[in-house]
Amino acid sequence: MLVFTKNGPGVAGYICCIKIVNMKAVDKDRLLDDLGKLVDDHIQSAVAVFQNMHSELLVKPAVNGGWSIAQCLEHLNRYGNYYIPLIRQGLARQKELTTGGTFKSGVIGAYFTRMMDPDKGKKKMRAFKEYIPGVELDGHAVVAEFIRQQEMLLTCIGWARRADLKGTRIPVSIMKWLKLRLGDVLQFVVMHDERHIRQAKRNCPMD
Amino acid sequence: MADALLQLRRLVDAVHPLSAEDWEVLSGIWTPFSAGRKEVLTTEGTMERYLYFVMEGVQRVYYFDDQDREATLVFTYAPSFGGVLDALLLQQPSRYFYETLTPSSFLRASYVELDRLMQARPGIAHMVRKGLTHALSGVLERLAELQCYTAEEKFNKVLQRSPHIFRLIPHKYIANYLGMDATNFSKLINKQRI
Repeated sequence: MLVFTKNGPGVAGYICCIKIVNMKAVDKDRLLDDLGKLVDDHIQSAVAVFQNMHSELLVKPAVNGGWSIAQCLEHLNRYGNYYIPLIRQGLARQKELTTGGTFKSGVIGAYFTRMMDPDKGKKKMRAFKEYIPGVELDGHAVVAEFIRQQEMLLTCIGWARRADLKGTRIPVSIMKWLKLRLGDVLQFVVMHDERHIRQAKRNCPMD
Repeated sequence: MADALLQLRRLVDAVHPLSAEDWEVLSGIWTPFSAGRKEVLTTEGTMERYLYFVMEGVQRVYYFDDQDREATLVFTYAPSFGGVLDALLLQQPSRYFYETLTPSSFLRASYVELDRLMQARPGIAHMVRKGLTHALSGVLERLAELQCYTAEEKFNKVLQRSPHIFRLIPHKYIANYLGMDATNFSKLINKQRI
């Protein structure tokens, strides 16, 4: 068990207990195939469903009082605004091409990905203040921005096939002192998207 | 492949029916090809080497310049021909990009082989000419719509002609095709049930 604490500006202070599990190396192309498939599904959901909904439905709060569809996507857009440019820059900085091979997650990276994965991390999490969207949103503009970001993320996943997923480290948005491997950042960003896309879909009216 | 060629045959026959011999040679020049979402198949400034027959997915031909100006000129989807046709047949560097907007599958034929058949077989040359004339007809019709129709009329025309693309591709490409801004497009979406 690894325990670390941090009190920093803008962060209330937290303690994380991470159970160290033996990380297995996975085939890089297969990992990127799986991530690409999820991103493709997210674009598909936004294109086939969300963008065609009336804007009033997009901003309607969930039945349980939770976030509207637009709020779920706006939350993801704010993280995308932070991570996607850093992923692009990280990939652009890599000069040597590395095709094939394997990727092994770091301890903290794997923990973050598990925490975000809606099938594994069932615990409800509270979002950080700057990532909590307000209720007054332009629903269609939010969906369009989400699609734009997801198309960019898919392009990055394509570029990552020729990159070293351990070769670049990216600071975590809510604790910049912590830098994770590019491969881990790609995984937890996509899993975080999956988590909130499922939440948004629960708000869709049944036809 | 056999099913794909059957679809191609239906399209070719609808344009201009070919003799059995012409179809035999034409059907021999196609190979399967697929691409994921948002892959550029032809880049501006390069030669268009292939004529595509779209079996699955939606693609677009678009103009993009160094001032970030973008114009979506044509959407292609099954069953139709695709690629930058002027660059292909004139064999000059393309002024446009051709990209997939959804995962796509095609048959494609190289220009060299298509040109060889067009030179040798009048029936095939005639079919290509008729196909191009239909394409020109579509472009002229669209030019008239762009110059005369209101935004709502243009929107309704696309919705009537190709309702399926509203659920297949991001609306920003349809808005760009119609020369509309996102806000106006969003208002029209709110008026319709798609």
